[in-house]
Amino acid sequence: MTCRLRHWALLGAAGAVALAAGLGFALWDRTPPDASALLALSLPDTNGTSQSLGQWRGKVLVVNYWATWCGPCREEMPEFVRAQRDLGPKGLQIVGIAIDQPAKVIEFAKELGLNYPALIGSYDAVDIAKPLGNRLAALPFTVVLDRTGQVAHTQLGPLKPEQLRTIVNALL
Amino acid sequence: MTLDRLARTFANLTAVAALGVAALAFAQGSPLPPDRAFRFSAALIDSRTIEARFTIAEGYYLYRDKIHFAVEPATAGLTVPPLPEGKVKEDQFFGRVETYRGGMVVRLALKDAKPGKAIVIAAESQGCADIGLCYPPTVQKVTVAIPEGSLVPGAPTEAAKKTWFN
Repeated sequence: MTCRLRHWALLGAAGAVALAAGLGFALWDRTPPDASALLALSLPDTNGTSQSLGQWRGKVLVVNYWATWCGPCREEMPEFVRAQRDLGPKGLQIVGIAIDQPAKVIEFAKELGLNYPALIGSYDAVDIAKPLGNRLAALPFTVVLDRTGQVAHTQLGPLKPEQLRTIVNALL
Repeated sequence: MTLDRLARTFANLTAVAALGVAALAFAQGSPLPPDRAFRFSAALIDSRTIEARFTIAEGYYLYRDKIHFAVEPATAGLTVPPLPEGKVKEDQFFGRVETYRGGMVVRLALKDAKPGKAIVIAAESQGCADIGLCYPPTVQKVTVAIPEGSLVPGAPTEAAKKTWFN
């Protein structure tokens, strides 16, 4: 083997290793997380009544972590309202978990015409989202569960309207 | 191939693989943790003045009205002047909001910091990333030593990495 050939062979091998490592990392990063802790969670709604997320088992459940102080969260929420209106009768349930003060949540819910439950999040609720892919506790963060309670999609950052519809329609 | 060469080849391959992983993580747009996106530091100017600084990574911004400072012990008597003006943004829900990009520096006044003791400056901040993410309020703490006798300005001290979501 000439020196140049060996050089290219080595470079090719290095590339293959890099690709394998990258793919390995990507697959490891995408291992479906367990939603049982999320479904076992109970949080107060804006009336102070405790609501268990498990009550919506059997529906396609979209859990959206948000806050009024989070601009990107507020921007994506009108699409959640439309999706709940259009797809609710087919079995979609959107639930918001607000990392916020109840008074601000009530005010914003009224302004937006929120047609799905807004629960008031706690540090526990934030902790539960960490193994689901939100290590930084940032917002918005959305978890989509299928009718059996399995995680179908997690999204850190806003969901595009068409992306939400595609994911949800495939599960309904 | 000699053993030495084999070892070198292996080291090269490992390096390239590491690069591949890093490139992938970057391609996924991994957001920075808030204490790296909004790095807080504090430097002693004199026994009555602390320079507080946020160094904000590119693509991130802090809300002016969400920045709060506190000192421990409280007896050191912290006075926070009005923060520098930020960039004005019209928010449809909150109205007029001001944000900082790149960085923000403010000089905090201490009324009664004891020489020879350390004080802790706690800085609470809240900000977002342009990729469409916001972080919950984060507290970063920096310990600043107040020297005995005459004062020599110290180098800025980086904030402790621990925050509530770690």
